[in-house]
Amino acid sequence: MNQRKEQGLLLSVENLGERLFRLKIHSPSISKKALPGNFCHLRVNESYSPLLRRAFSIHQVETEKNSFELLFKVVGPGTQILSEKKTGEKIDLLGPLGNSFSLPAKDENAVLLAGGMGIAPLFYLVSSLLEKKFDPQKISLFFGVRKKDEYLLVNDIVSTGIRLHLATEDGSSGYRGMITELFFQELRARRLKTKRTRFYACGPNLMLKKVSEISRKFKLDCQISLESHMPCGVGACMGCVVNTVKGYKRVCKDGPVFDAREVILD
Amino acid sequence: MIPDLSVKIGKVKFSNPVLVASGTFGYGEEYGAFFDLNELGSIITKSITLNPREGHLPPRTCETPSGMLNAIGLANVGVKRFIQEKLPFLRNLKTKVIVNVAGSSIDEYVEVVKKLEGKKGIDLLEINISCPNVKQGGITFGSDPKCAYDCIKAVRDNSTYPIIAKLSPNVADIVEIALAVEEAGADAVSLINTLVGMAIDLEKRKPRLSNITGGLSGPAIKPVALAMVWKTAQKVKIPVIGLGGIMNTQDALEFILAGASMIQVGTGNFVDPECSVKIVEGLKEYCQEKKLKRILDLRGKLKIFTAD
Ligand SMILES: Cc1cc2nc3c(=O)[nH]c(=O)nc-3n(C[C@H](O)[C@H](O)[C@H](O)COP(=O)(O)OP(=O)(O)OC[C@H]3O[C@@H](n4cnc5c(N)ncnc54)[C@H](O)[C@@H]3O)c2cc1C
Ligand SMILES: Cc1cc2nc3c(=O)[nH]c(=O)nc-3n(C[C@H](O)[C@H](O)[C@H](O)COP(=O)(O)O)c2cc1C
Ligand code: FES
Repeated sequence: MNQRKEQGLLLSVENLGERLFRLKIHSPSISKKALPGNFCHLRVNESYSPLLRRAFSIHQVETEKNSFELLFKVVGPGTQILSEKKTGEKIDLLGPLGNSFSLPAKDENAVLLAGGMGIAPLFYLVSSLLEKKFDPQKISLFFGVRKKDEYLLVNDIVSTGIRLHLATEDGSSGYRGMITELFFQELRARRLKTKRTRFYACGPNLMLKKVSEISRKFKLDCQISLESHMPCGVGACMGCVVNTVKGYKRVCKDGPVFDAREVILD
Repeated sequence: MIPDLSVKIGKVKFSNPVLVASGTFGYGEEYGAFFDLNELGSIITKSITLNPREGHLPPRTCETPSGMLNAIGLANVGVKRFIQEKLPFLRNLKTKVIVNVAGSSIDEYVEVVKKLEGKKGIDLLEINISCPNVKQGGITFGSDPKCAYDCIKAVRDNSTYPIIAKLSPNVADIVEIALAVEEAGADAVSLINTLVGMAIDLEKRKPRLSNITGGLSGPAIKPVALAMVWKTAQKVKIPVIGLGGIMNTQDALEFILAGASMIQVGTGNFVDPECSVKIVEGLKEYCQEKKLKRILDLRGKLKIFTAD
């Protein structure tokens, strides 16, 4: 018995933009054990509406304060209820769950691709690398959103000193178009090293499908973090599977982090 | 006074009447991280078929009001790998182990139960007769009394384990099926499996499940399950195991009042991994509070309205 349900205590709720929220939660067990890529599975309330737990990437951890953060977008009833929570409320949590990103060695580079809320686990990856004294100049982040006002944490990201490439679909800031197009151009122009470089991506499925194709084409060592509807979140129901070259895998237990070259997204 | 929660099916004695439902608890390992599995009356495995099954294309699940739909497609490791890879873990538990068996022909059920025969660590079989019968043109074994009888009889003749027949609610008269499997030699019946349902994504104009339809479970189906358990318990002599939307002690007690000797927790495990053990505790407390010596004293004790 190494896993426990925990009643987390909500320390703060911040509205970071249109439908974008950040929660800080006191949870000794999650903050002690979490690794970048892990997620937690939580109940937004005690009722049967909604019935099932919701999955969120662990976004930031402050081990000394026994707290961690979630970053999320309101997309439906569950996230709506979560966004209306007040400081001091309890949250029923399971976690940390799932596997985690495998980290680059000190002499390797890290290239991260985030689409929208995909920044949540990737920013955690960046801060853990920096905490391990990884050279910020060896980390590049490609961050894409639909329009300028969806940018999250840009100031935080800039202050880390990592290399940042921005793209918006409407061209309101940075490159105009998909982040995967910008990434592809940089790769093709050989402005990105592919040898001794670890790639990481998280974002909408369509973006990850592209990343997976590019990874196969350029033979990139690339890890992607997937989402799926997760009834149990612990590997028991087979409800959350993704197709891979090795057959169906459970996103909650065998993932959420997979080798981009192995998953078959549609 | 410690109340007696024990229940017997055939010769097998369970320490308490709380089981975890097939397909919602894997092969036990995952939830073993959350609590001591020995606290449970028994663990029921995912349905096991003769050959491994990959299952349906995703998306396989979706949430519906107070419930969920699933179309997992019986994804499982197959009987051979089950015995090699999953049974050793289950064998080491003190709790009883029920292996759920599924097939698409009577021959397949028989082959699976033959392979399970005599294997250490198995206490009972639960036969999922809600799968389509390929030979009979895809009608489910569980929807026709004759088919249900033939299937359970064939299993009975080829196995020495006590047998639970798991019944489908997608039938005209579940009592008729229950009587047929009792006649065929089942030691107990469990009901209900999921109800056929469907959900649509209006924006995409697509079904939410790749399989189009799926099985509805969770609190949404509890009233249907209670009615079926009540009706069945009036008619059969063998124990009835009730399930469908059980989320807490109160739900479990309602099923016992309706005539169930045991209960199973399915979707409830997803909502709270500790749901089943909390019910074990809750039943104990209820008995103490109501001064019941045995939980079974409550079984079927529903007070029916009388005309006076
Ligand atoms: C491992 C993992 C990590 C995640 N991390 C984050 C994060 O850091 N920030 C964030 O904003 N969102 C994240 N998500 C997505 C988040 O779980 C969904 O946005 C949320 O469940 C929507 O719930 P809802 O009730 O508001 O919406 P609804 O659409 O009403 O939800 C209905 C059902 O669909 C499921 N669902 C809907 N969208 C998704 C989705 N994209 N992925 C998985 N299930 C979904 C819900 O769990 C629920 O069962 C993550 C999902 C997974 C699987
Ligand atoms: C994800 C999922 C998978 C299931 N798989 C099986 C299965 O393999 N065999 C079976 O007999 N029943 C299966 N069931 C049905 C459950 O065992 C149970 O009968 C049903 O869900 C009703 O109970 P509940 O409302 O408590 O979940 C499954 C249910 C769910 C939700
Ligand atoms: S959510 Fe149940 S196996 Fe992944």
